[in-house]
Amino acid sequence: MLLYAVRRIVISIPILLVSSFIVFWLGTLSGNPLTPLLLRNPPPPQSVLDAEAARLHLDEPLVPRYLAWLGGVFRGDFGPSVIATQDIGEELATRFWVTMRLIIVAMIVALVLAVLVGVYTAVKQYSKSDYAATFIGFLFLAMPSFWLAILLKQGGIDFNTIVGDQVIYTIGASSIPPPDGLLARVADVAGHMVLPTIALALISYAAWSRFTRASMLETLNSDYVRLARAKGLPRRTVMFRHALRTALIPLTTVTALDMATILGGAVITETVFQWRGLGDFLIESIRQFDTYAVTSWLLISATIVIVLNLVADLLYGVLDPRIRYA
Amino acid sequence: MRMKAAAAVAVAGASALLLSACGVGGGGGATASGNFADCAENINNCNSVPEDQLQQGGTITFAIEKNIPNWNVVSADGNVFETGMATQAYLPAAFDTQPDLTLALNTDLMVSADLVNPTTIVYKIKPEAVWSDGTPISADDFAYSWKMQSPTECPECATAGNGGWDVVQDVVGSDGGKTATMTLSHPFTDWQNYFSSGQPLYPAHIAAQHGDLNTPEGIAASFDWFGKNPPTYSGGPYVVENWQDNQALTLAPNPRWYGATKPKLDQLIMRVITDATQEPIALQNNEVQVIYPQPQVDIVQQIQQIPNVSQNQQLGIQWEHYDFNLRNPFLQDKALRQAMYTAVNREDIIAKTVGQFNPDVQPLNSLMFLPQMEGYTDNVTATGLGSGDVERAKQILTDAGYTGVGEKLVAPSGEAVPDMRIRYTVGNAIRQNESELFAGYMKQLGINVAVEPTDDLGTTLSAGDYDIMVFAWVQSPAPFANAQQTFLSSSGNNFGQYKNPRTDAMLNEAASSADKAAATATLNEADRIIMEDAYVLPLYQKPTLIAAQDTVANVRGNASLAGPTYNAGEWALRAGS
Repeated sequence: MLLYAVRRIVISIPILLVSSFIVFWLGTLSGNPLTPLLLRNPPPPQSVLDAEAARLHLDEPLVPRYLAWLGGVFRGDFGPSVIATQDIGEELATRFWVTMRLIIVAMIVALVLAVLVGVYTAVKQYSKSDYAATFIGFLFLAMPSFWLAILLKQGGIDFNTIVGDQVIYTIGASSIPPPDGLLARVADVAGHMVLPTIALALISYAAWSRFTRASMLETLNSDYVRLARAKGLPRRTVMFRHALRTALIPLTTVTALDMATILGGAVITETVFQWRGLGDFLIESIRQFDTYAVTSWLLISATIVIVLNLVADLLYGVLDPRIRYA
Repeated sequence: MRMKAAAAVAVAGASALLLSACGVGGGGGATASGNFADCAENINNCNSVPEDQLQQGGTITFAIEKNIPNWNVVSADGNVFETGMATQAYLPAAFDTQPDLTLALNTDLMVSADLVNPTTIVYKIKPEAVWSDGTPISADDFAYSWKMQSPTECPECATAGNGGWDVVQDVVGSDGGKTATMTLSHPFTDWQNYFSSGQPLYPAHIAAQHGDLNTPEGIAASFDWFGKNPPTYSGGPYVVENWQDNQALTLAPNPRWYGATKPKLDQLIMRVITDATQEPIALQNNEVQVIYPQPQVDIVQQIQQIPNVSQNQQLGIQWEHYDFNLRNPFLQDKALRQAMYTAVNREDIIAKTVGQFNPDVQPLNSLMFLPQMEGYTDNVTATGLGSGDVERAKQILTDAGYTGVGEKLVAPSGEAVPDMRIRYTVGNAIRQNESELFAGYMKQLGINVAVEPTDDLGTTLSAGDYDIMVFAWVQSPAPFANAQQTFLSSSGNNFGQYKNPRTDAMLNEAASSADKAAATATLNEADRIIMEDAYVLPLYQKPTLIAAQDTVANVRGNASLAGPTYNAGEWALRAGS
């Protein structure tokens, strides 16, 4: 298993390098980072423009620039940002945890809901609740995430109006300044998390619940489950020990593969809810033609996706002994 | 059973959350409402509340649309609107820009600031004016703020390039440091812009801790230090209490503030909201109390629906315009340019763009001044440019020897006028609309214009990769220096390469005059010539929009580069709110 994991990591390195070079190259083509300065009125002196171009290595060819950036990454230096006072590495580190907090909670919520609804609707196939869950699932699946987020915001405001207090917040990860007292702070953080978490979770939930339902139905109709029932095993044991465990294997794959989609969803969610996470960093960096920042973002997000795919592979072994011993 | 109930509650809750989003109520006016209703007549004092009706304490959160990238507002990196709005709360300036775009002496700091002769300015500082550490604000601060922006005193300082500092020869202190006398090599018409709120005073005694101010290297070191470090100093009504990068700037009253009006608030917070469409929602949820987004139809309508919120639109300092690129040999023909701009219907453009959310927008008739500014003269109407008079445009072409007018235009030389490209910033729906309308007007003359977006306006302009460009200029509070930067043959900002020795001489004369009235007349004469040459066609001033909770007092729009925080020290909450 260890050898397998190491092999997967080694294979992913050239993928990371090629993808980062492509993004770096596209970044340099996308625009001139000096544009904001060029459009100033009054215009900054030419010496300032020249110095800025030199600081950003805009006067160097593409490949040496990329190699210099790559070399810097190994030393923890992610290159100069268009914003001179910004350290890309520090920014990524800070924002990584902001995004992870959002994604992890949203994934847990989405997974729990998806498994519960997926199992329930599989067991109660073609019932009214199955149709209702199917309708809701497809509704969320079809809904653009930014629109859903804005609807949720308006709903949050109306909720506050009804309860006559500010319980739910629509911008940021916490209030500024934060309230005094531990309980108040926890409530404040929760009040800021509820809407972005729902927005991000519902989109994944919709797909995952359909997947769980299909997978569960297939398992429930398989011979070994029928045999387990025929042997007189309790319904609970059949459902959870035999059927659900097997049905979860493909969900594990989908969840890991969906990580890239969730990161993409976080870009929109963080923008709408003004969370200063990796998604927000990407948007701001693209706006400013900050090639080093965009490429560094890609490196981090691609690493996250690759690691989670690896974790999913390793989890197969835990869920399915046949894979472990293969 | 329990599970069924829980599921029902969850579904009902989600549905309520979603459905409730559809219902909103309230109302408001078109361009001004509620507390801002009198802003049209009383622009400098609207939403003013007597001191005895103000609450002592409380917090106001103001949304700013960008992070503060650099704390040195006179540096190239820091010369952005958000930094400028923040610095006004803690950096002193000799002059402030009022909402009516006039410059007014900052009487909290200054006794007087006078041009005693064409090349000498005397600044008298109030004796009680001190920095937050108790150090007097003195001539040393004026001298340092000059040196950090002077291309000769500090060639390594990456300044924003504000005009006029190259003609300053010296700043000398007297009267115990409370008088600063600045000597110029020759007159500078926009002299009131020196040490104005866009170019405020930085503390020399703090600078001296970070570099030897007698050397260019030392000045540059302190210049950079001011850019990189959040301020620990203040000479304004507030001090910086906390800065969370990308999140918020928290300001608290400066205990050593020497001004007449003491801040009423406990905290003034500038919160970064980078997506303008989220600002009305945050305002509605009372997470922010004041917003200042770029107006769009959706945002204006959304704010109108929020109860207990007032809004006001003003015509701002950004003005939209078409530019010809005179590198195109066909566009070097004045008659063709005049005909093309004559066919453009500015009223129609306004009605189909910004007029949809602001009926007050009118065609702009000067390249040099805005209607709110002293010296504004209509130099466009008489030329017929922008009138949409297609027949007149056709006649200009026919008289100049063009054939195929209205079908496929052929130049007097016999060459067919080639297809042209009008370019605009990608994603800007208003400019896309303006470009498509332009192409439509040109079709009537027999000129085919392709509409093509650019994702890099700066490079496209400086590379001259366009035939016609639609974009906006920000009118500087220094109109005379500004005109040089935009229209001088040698200026880097003269992207379309208009060259006219006659107007060059006029622009230089106007910018270095001791007689402002004469300079204004000269600038207007240059304006008439450039308009007659049909190089740039001004369209309209872009509106600005401020919206605030009705609990907020003394907050009002300021369409200049100063922004609404020009009077941050007076912001307060109404008593009982």
